[in-house]
Amino acid sequence: MRFQLTFASVLLTIGWTLGAPDGVDLAKPEDRTDHWSFKPLAQFKADWNIDAFIKEKLIANGLAMSQAADRLTWLRRVYFDLIGLPPSPEQVTAFLTDTDSGVHDRVVDQLLASPRYGERWAQHWLDVVRYADTHGFEVNTPRPNAWPYRDYVIAAFNNDTPFDQFIREQIAGDQFGKDAGTGFLVTAARLLPGQIGKDAASMRLARQDELGEIVINTSEAFLGLSVGCARCHNHKFDAISAKDYYSMQAFFAGVSYGERPIQSSESEALHKQKEELKSRVREIDRAVAGLVPLARSGVERPPVKASINVERFAPVKARKIRFTIQKTNLYEPCIDELEVFDSNGNNIALSSLNVTRSASGSKEEPNRHQLDFINDGKFGNTHSWMCNEKTGWVMLEFPIEHTIERVVWARDRDGKFKDRLALEYVIEVADDSGKWQAVADSKDRRSLIDIVNGVVEPGPGRTGNNVFENAFDGDVGTMTFTTNGGTVTAPQRSLLALEEGAIHSLSHIRINDIEGNDNNGRMKQITVRVTTDSDKDLTARAYSDVTNLSVKMFSGDANPLPNVVINGNTIEHLDTEHDGFYSIVFDPVPGATGIELEWANERQHKHWTIREIEACTSAPEVQKNQVGVIAQDPKQQSKSKSLMQEKSNIEAQLREFSKSRSVFGGIFGKPDPVHILNRGDAEQPEEEVTPTVLSALGDLSLAKDAPESERRVALAKWIADEKNPLTARVAVNRIWQGHFGIGIVETANDFGKIGAAPSHPRLLDWLAAEFIRSGWSVKHLHRLIVLSDTYRQSEQIVTHASAKDAEVRLLWRFPSRRLEAEGIRDAMLAVSGRLNLKTGGPGFDLFFSRGGLSGFPPILKFQGDGLRRMIYAHKIRMEPDSVFGAFDCPDAGQSVSRRRQSTTPIQALNLFNSQFTIDESEAMAKRVREDAGAQVPAQVARTYWLAYGRDPHPNEMADAESVVHRQGLETLCRAIFNSNEFLFIP
Amino acid sequence: MRNGAEHISPSGRQLLDRRAFLGNSATALSSIALTSLLGTEGLLAGKQPVIDPSRPYAPRAPHFAPKAKNVLVIFCPGAVSQLETWDYKPELIKQDGKPLAGGPAVTFQGPSGNLAKPQYEFRPRGQTGKMVSEMIPNLAELTDDIAFIHSLTSKSNTHGPAENFLSTGFVQDGFPSMGGWVSYALGSENQNLPAFVSIPDPRGIPQSSVNNWGPGFLPAEFQGTPFSASKPLLHLDPPAGITTDQNQAARSLLQRMNARHLEKHPGDGKLAARIASYELAARMQLSVPEIGDLNSEPAHVLKSYGADNASNPIKAGFAKNCILARRLIESGVRFVQLFNGAYASGGTLNWDGHKDLKKQYDVHAEILDQPATALIKDLRDRGLLEETLVVWCTEFGRMPMFQRGAKGRDHNPDGFTCWMTGAGVKPGVSHGLTDELGRKAIHNVHPLYDFNATILHLLGLDHEKLTFYHNGIERRLTNVEGNVIGEVIG
Repeated sequence: MRFQLTFASVLLTIGWTLGAPDGVDLAKPEDRTDHWSFKPLAQFKADWNIDAFIKEKLIANGLAMSQAADRLTWLRRVYFDLIGLPPSPEQVTAFLTDTDSGVHDRVVDQLLASPRYGERWAQHWLDVVRYADTHGFEVNTPRPNAWPYRDYVIAAFNNDTPFDQFIREQIAGDQFGKDAGTGFLVTAARLLPGQIGKDAASMRLARQDELGEIVINTSEAFLGLSVGCARCHNHKFDAISAKDYYSMQAFFAGVSYGERPIQSSESEALHKQKEELKSRVREIDRAVAGLVPLARSGVERPPVKASINVERFAPVKARKIRFTIQKTNLYEPCIDELEVFDSNGNNIALSSLNVTRSASGSKEEPNRHQLDFINDGKFGNTHSWMCNEKTGWVMLEFPIEHTIERVVWARDRDGKFKDRLALEYVIEVADDSGKWQAVADSKDRRSLIDIVNGVVEPGPGRTGNNVFENAFDGDVGTMTFTTNGGTVTAPQRSLLALEEGAIHSLSHIRINDIEGNDNNGRMKQITVRVTTDSDKDLTARAYSDVTNLSVKMFSGDANPLPNVVINGNTIEHLDTEHDGFYSIVFDPVPGATGIELEWANERQHKHWTIREIEACTSAPEVQKNQVGVIAQDPKQQSKSKSLMQEKSNIEAQLREFSKSRSVFGGIFGKPDPVHILNRGDAEQPEEEVTPTVLSALGDLSLAKDAPESERRVALAKWIADEKNPLTARVAVNRIWQGHFGIGIVETANDFGKIGAAPSHPRLLDWLAAEFIRSGWSVKHLHRLIVLSDTYRQSEQIVTHASAKDAEVRLLWRFPSRRLEAEGIRDAMLAVSGRLNLKTGGPGFDLFFSRGGLSGFPPILKFQGDGLRRMIYAHKIRMEPDSVFGAFDCPDAGQSVSRRRQSTTPIQALNLFNSQFTIDESEAMAKRVREDAGAQVPAQVARTYWLAYGRDPHPNEMADAESVVHRQGLETLCRAIFNSNEFLFIP
Repeated sequence: MRNGAEHISPSGRQLLDRRAFLGNSATALSSIALTSLLGTEGLLAGKQPVIDPSRPYAPRAPHFAPKAKNVLVIFCPGAVSQLETWDYKPELIKQDGKPLAGGPAVTFQGPSGNLAKPQYEFRPRGQTGKMVSEMIPNLAELTDDIAFIHSLTSKSNTHGPAENFLSTGFVQDGFPSMGGWVSYALGSENQNLPAFVSIPDPRGIPQSSVNNWGPGFLPAEFQGTPFSASKPLLHLDPPAGITTDQNQAARSLLQRMNARHLEKHPGDGKLAARIASYELAARMQLSVPEIGDLNSEPAHVLKSYGADNASNPIKAGFAKNCILARRLIESGVRFVQLFNGAYASGGTLNWDGHKDLKKQYDVHAEILDQPATALIKDLRDRGLLEETLVVWCTEFGRMPMFQRGAKGRDHNPDGFTCWMTGAGVKPGVSHGLTDELGRKAIHNVHPLYDFNATILHLLGLDHEKLTFYHNGIERRLTNVEGNVIGEVIG
């Protein structure tokens, strides 16, 4: 690798431009590479240090360093500067009373070791890369997995990741075990596909815009060069040609924007854990299936469901399996997936295992219903098989004979579709000999009557939480609802209409999951009435007393077995299933059209929930106590329940994993050819270029067909090379700027010709060399800077110095400045005692919307996660926070290399009048009263200590006391939050 | 109502005077304040506005004698069809239902259908006899005073980027808005109100939202302050529960605390500027509710704008915003941006007539026409048009074809109409041409850069000189383009 200073070719290609700065003679070709920042770092003897460089310049300008600031000022300065929070009164006292000479070093070490440090310094970097949690532009859709990159940056600062490595990880983290770092490539705003024109030209332009943003980000953030300016024509002032721009773009030609799973070493461990959990789910499925009654065993099995059906049978050899549908609830049958399990719990039916399929006939609709979807491993209506007639079959053939014991099938495991459900069916298998036998069918499935409508009446005179909802779920024969009770024992009613027109012989009702939330309260009685009156108005029906049945229930979940009292017809408590139904069996009622269910509670209690009701026709012949069938004793029932609970916990965990393990990062594919575009117009391609670094800085060039990752790795290494004259200078300048508010080069994103010249070029080079020598340690630089005499100076203005150097570029004092937006919010919370130090993860909300078209109503009152540090806010691109946005908070539109310090009346209104300020004033007042007791002078003193780390002077005490007496401590706190002393890094 | 710095309270003025801060720009102290507040970034060019941090909205001199002092921009998001409004195309009526020979098979949203005639009748208006559509009968009556530019083009056919382009000169997010540039350059005539007010439509925010009034990388003082007749400025007052006495006590205590702190930091302009900002905020607390209080408007005014229209609350809401706009201009606010239309919504909340253009435009035109016309006439009657430039604009136009299977038109950035009237504008002009079907601009073609350069020019600003350094380049509203359209200047 080579870093060259001048090139004849550059002279030729760059000499002609569209314009030139004043005083530049265009007639003379200018060597644009003859620029200070393109030259190697100057070398220094070992005895130089920061203060020596600063003094050198001050003396040359007839100035001198100011005296050291008082200790409190230095402490507050270094706290705000390094961690963005004020020191607590205790930390102030400890520091002021510690006379040991090493105390400054120790404080700095503590602060740099604090996780709060990364939260503060990551923000500086996120400003530069215009990080946000939405996509921007008109739709401004949420970018829900941008935050792993934000967390990556915070962790990189906290871990003191060497800066060269930090660069490599952001350009090619996928190749260096820090995948989330590639979020850097795609931090820009982007148009989503729906916002891009359907015409090809619009798409090409959008792609050029995406790539352009990557080039801009990379060149400005790391090299301090505005390479993006050369997209349409050669750079006006710097040695960057349009060819340079497109050659740099070629390094990224395979990068697109999108969300994908994070790959990293940590993620491999997680991946392993995930696989283990999945395997446990398979075990549970098998164990639970073991509790399902065997098919064709004479035991009644649960009715067919649209969402999932398990068919368990004694192990049988199978080469083929055939599923024949004889009747559906509606239309042609549809099955989303047919799973066949062997004795080890593995699904051996997947097409990936070379299982072939055939059918009596298929209704094909591409990407929705296809025969090959029957065993593609994907669920839901859009991955299903549909028969072309109302009856038919589908068959799978395995490459070898297996021993199988379970089949699982469904209409739609996503739970959206309930039509086209096979109600009558048979499943047959054939072994190698070709002999078919039935292993399961629908004959022993309980036959249900459709409940087509239902209402729940919460009962008269109920008060309290009267919320109730009911939902006829459309599944066969079930009704699901929840009622929340009140305080009165008046009965609640559920009225259910059965499927019209059918001749039913209702013979029993099954009630599932009666649940109460009050162990003391009891469900006193359930009364069931059945009607043959077909009046459409459910509630107006006469419910015949002939079949008046009632069951007395004496407990809820704690003891699932009710004390059953027979009243009237035959009532039987059968609990034949693992799913915990109560069954009420009675003499068949032919032509039943509706059911009324009424239940009353023994005493006042909170609520009862009845999850499901089934209306059943005559039960099949049930052989009670049949040997060999799983007896559904309470023990097994509870085992099943605990297994299902475990499964649902694991599934929740897996969902959490898949959430947290995606990142909005670069997606890497085959690079497209890259051409120079005339005037940046994607419709005017010219010469093709290869990935090549800026010609003024080097000659690294890759082949036209270089693989994607090789390109980014090569560029990353070239940028992060210690011989690159720009990289270390740009980096140390940003860090210097973070401490003093302005860099040695004040245009931190622009080290080119139009950028500002360094105020202390020798210091800049010395820092860069020291940075490289330390192994690119950012924390090493912090130590050097904050422990220097330069940094420790007083902030006081010296008139004669200010006359010579009003901007304090020569650092004759410490340039005090207002806290940034995040610093103000965080400091207010820290002082009010409400700061929530939870780290990482998805951002908290500043608005009632996380993205979208219709605006962002601000949240005014915050609690819980809303009290986290502001770097953890879900950052809406372009939408400023309603209170703190006005404090020059970047909008993540364009890169902000340095925050301005504006002073506006809107800032004053926001900070003085916002609900946030009022709430934190109240919280702080409460805290102070708790800390200091009821005496006003003690309260005022504590308030001053919390906010300023000092005692109030007597006149301040008198003033504050009088205000507190008349208008309350909150008023003092509100004034303090708005005061300059609170808001400035001193 | 044109108030100056004399309205700083006596205590505030005394404080500032004592620090030799106000009105003494020759002192070193003041220059400290200037440079530290502005950031030296903005001064690199050396020709830029000098901003007194205690009076950021103080009026500043333009580059040359201006023709207009204030600007009112009526912005119709969603892309108003030029073919249904101002750009009369008899040939399109003839070719109704025929395919466009050589036209695009696919436009922004999808396949193209056949050419469709204008959905409204056109008839000649005023002295000039210009053909304008019946869709906007009231605005149409103003044509003698208007300069139309029929040949504008945009760089994007997507609403968000195109609104950015119209308002900031760049398709990307995050560049300074025109109102930002103007208030940065010129300050304002009123020191008790923001220099730049942005009035969102009653139906919601425009498509690219804050981009239209954001400061981009200009100092935050110059962002538009959004409020409307129905949605007051947030945080103008403390939440309920804070008494007037508490409020006053907090304010005066703060003032004393900051004064004591400044005593200990003599000469620090940043501290003084923050003190001044609370003074300005206090004045805004009085003047903003006053300006937004339409109760003082007589009934005949409300009626003329349509603000009394109980049957159409959106129209009444927009009409009230129009009255607010007039009151702001009247008070000397430099730049007022008035939106008519909201965000993407299949054309129901703005002018994005893809599906059923006529039906949707019937609704939108009713909301726009009477109030906007009343606003311009009211400005004229009060003599305000002599110093106020009124701009009507939209981010791009629409195709002469309907979309396939729909009765609406797709996005067309290749030729569309915006117009100006009022101070400095040559009345009764129709400049530039689209082809006979209105598909593309063909004569005197003007990218929106030219439109924006012309607006700055009328304000006495050279669009090439009004720059601000950011990330390696002196940025402008017009990027590296822009030519003033002399033909529309009076």
